[in-house]
Amino acid sequence: MAAAKLSGNRPLRLLGNVYTTVFRGVPELLIIYLIYFGGSSAVTSIGQALGYEGFLGLPSFAAGALAVGIISGAYQAEVYRGAYLAIPRGELEAASAIGMHRALRLRRIVMPQVLRYALPGIGNVWQLSLKDSALISVTGLAELMRTSQVAAGSTRQYFLFFIAGGALYLILTSLSDRVFRRAERHADRSMPSATLGRA
Amino acid sequence: MAGNTRLSVRDVRKSFGAHEVLRGISLEAEDGDVISLLGASGSGKSTFLRCINLLETADSGEIWVDGEQIRMVKSGGKARPASQKQVDHIRAELGMVFQSFNLWSHMTVLQNVIEGPVHVLKRPRAECVEEAEALLKKVGIADKANAYPAHLSGGQQQRAAIARALAMKPKVMLFDEPTSALDPELVGEVLRVMRALAEEGMTMLVVTHEMGFARNVSNRVVFMREGLVESSGSPQEMFGAGASPAFRQFVGNLNG
Amino acid sequence: MDFAFLSSTMATLLEAVPVTLALFALSVSCGFVLALLVVWMRVGGNRTLAGFARGYIFVFRGSPLLIQMFLIFYGLAQFSFIRNGPLWPFLREPFVCAVLSLALCTAGYSAEIFRGGIRSVSPKELEAARAIGMSGFLLVRRILTPIAFRHALPAYSTEVVLMMKSTALASLVTVWEVTGVAQRLISHTYRTMEVFLCAAVIYLVLNFIVLQAMALLEYALSRHLRAPPAAKP
Repeated sequence: MAAAKLSGNRPLRLLGNVYTTVFRGVPELLIIYLIYFGGSSAVTSIGQALGYEGFLGLPSFAAGALAVGIISGAYQAEVYRGAYLAIPRGELEAASAIGMHRALRLRRIVMPQVLRYALPGIGNVWQLSLKDSALISVTGLAELMRTSQVAAGSTRQYFLFFIAGGALYLILTSLSDRVFRRAERHADRSMPSATLGRA
Repeated sequence: MAGNTRLSVRDVRKSFGAHEVLRGISLEAEDGDVISLLGASGSGKSTFLRCINLLETADSGEIWVDGEQIRMVKSGGKARPASQKQVDHIRAELGMVFQSFNLWSHMTVLQNVIEGPVHVLKRPRAECVEEAEALLKKVGIADKANAYPAHLSGGQQQRAAIARALAMKPKVMLFDEPTSALDPELVGEVLRVMRALAEEGMTMLVVTHEMGFARNVSNRVVFMREGLVESSGSPQEMFGAGASPAFRQFVGNLNG
Repeated sequence: MDFAFLSSTMATLLEAVPVTLALFALSVSCGFVLALLVVWMRVGGNRTLAGFARGYIFVFRGSPLLIQMFLIFYGLAQFSFIRNGPLWPFLREPFVCAVLSLALCTAGYSAEIFRGGIRSVSPKELEAARAIGMSGFLLVRRILTPIAFRHALPAYSTEVVLMMKSTALASLVTVWEVTGVAQRLISHTYRTMEVFLCAAVIYLVLNFIVLQAMALLEYALSRHLRAPPAAKP
C-alpha cells in the first residue's frame, strides 16, 4: 500500500489513499464487524453456491485477526511511506550513479534505511495493534453478553478477569516497548550519538 | 555622581559541583555608574551577573539592590532565596539583556515589551502600550512593533530586548554579552543604544568583549580572572599605564 | 445499489450521531482538563505526585481502552460503597461510564503529549520571563502554556481524532451511538456492506470536520511562524 501511494500511477495512488484513509479513519470496531459479519455472509453465499445450505460463520478469532491486520496495514503503510520519504535523496542518486539497477537498489539501500526510519513508528503501530486485539474478543464476547444474564455473583469474576487481562496487556506493552527500544538503538548505531556530552 | 549605591555585592562565592567558579567577588555600583566586566571565558563573569538577579544562586555572600538585601536561607546544605516574592520584586528592579536576546517568539515585539509592565507590575494596559511605543522609538524599531521576533534581524531583536528590559523601569541594567551573538555589522546599532542609555544616567553592569565600549563609554572597568577580581579601575587606568600585566595580556590576546 | 435501503440506513444511523458527538465532546473536554491536572503532577516538584502521574500514564496508555471501559462499567458496580454512594445514579448510566472511561484514557495520552510540549519550551524564553520577575502561576499561564501548547498541537490533533473513533467502543457498554446502531442493523438485516458503508461515511465526515477544526486552530496560533506580510512601501 505504501508503494501504491508513492507510485506515479494515479489510480494506484487513489487506491492507496482510499485504503489508508478508510482503515485509519473508521473505528476499529466497525471494521471488525465488517470482516466478521461481512465475511460470514460472503462465506455463507459461497457455501450456498456450492450447494451447502445453512449459515457458515467465519471463526471469530480469524475474522478479528484479519481485521486488525488490515487496520495495522493501513497504519504501517503510512509509516513506511514516511520512512521512504525520509531517506536523503542523495543516497538514492548515488546508488543509481554507481550503476545499481532498481531491484538491487531496493534491496541494498532502500530497504535497510526504510526499516531504520520506520522502527519507531512501527513500534507505535505494534502497541496500537496489541490493544486493538482486545477488540477481537468482542465478537465472541458480544454474543456471550447478549445472550446471557449477568448474575451478581459472576460480576465479581468479571472484575478480576478484567484486572488480570489489563495487567497482562500492561506487561505485554512494556515488554514490547523495551524490545523496540533495543531494536531502535541497534538500528541507529550508524548515526551520531544523540548525547555528545555536555555540549 | 550621586552617592547613591544602587548595587552592592559582597564576597559572592559559587561552585558548580567541585568546580569553584566564583571565589569571593565584591562590587559596588553607584547611581549612574557604567561598569564593564571583562575576562576570559570561564572567568565567571556571566555566572556573577546571573547571581545578581538570582538566575543562579550564590553559595555565599551578600547582595544588596538599592538598599534592600536579598534574604537567603540555608536548606539542605545549599543556600536559596528566602522569599520568592522578594526574588520577583528584585528581578523587576533589575533589567537583564541576554546574549541570545530571549524574546518570546509567539508574541509580537510590542507584546514582548508590555508583558512585564502589564502582568508583573500590573499597570493599566493603555499606559504600557504608550510607553512601549515610546521605548521602541527610542531604540529605533518603532516600525517593527507588530512584527514577530523571527522577522527581525539580530540587532533589531536585541534592541527590542533592551526596550523590553527598560519597560520595567529598572534601577540597574545587567547586560550579559549583549553583542556576542551578533553579526559584526549589527553590533554598532546595539552599542549606540547602550551608549545613549549610559549618557542618560542609567546604572549599567555590562559583561562584554567590546573593548571600544569598555574604554569609551564605561566609567569603570573590572577585570575578572579565575573567579576573582584581578584588577579594576577607570578606563584611563586600565587601558593606560596603570594596567596589570594579566590585563594587558588579556587585551593583547583579544587584539590578536 | 439499493438506494432505498441505503437512505433508510443512513437516516437511522444519523439519529445516533448526536450521541456520538456528545460522547466525543464531553470526553475530550473532561480528558483535557484531567490531562492538565496529570501533567501538572508529573512535572511539578513533588515526587510522590510525579510518581502517581507516571503510574497513571503508564496504565492508561498501556492497556486497551476496552478493558478500562469494562472495568468501569461492570467493575465499579461490584463495590457496595459505590452502589450506595451519592454518585451511583450517575455511575450506573452506561453513557456516564463511557464518558468517564474515555476521559480517563485520553487524559493519559494527552498528558504525555503535553509533557512533550512542555519539554520543548526553550529555557531561554523562560529565563527571560523570570528575569522580569515572573514566577509561579503567572509564568506558567503567560509564557509556558502558550508555547508548550503550540508545540503539542499537532500531536494533540491526532489524539482528538483518535477519540472520535474511540467513541465506537461505547457501543459495547450499551450506549446507542453510531457503531452500536450499525451493529444492530447488521444483525437484523445481514446487509453488512451497505451498513458499513453508511457508517464509515459518517465517521469519515466527522473525522474530516474535526481535522479541519484542529487545522484551523493550528493556523490561528502559528502567526509567528509565517512570513511577514508584503513589504511596506
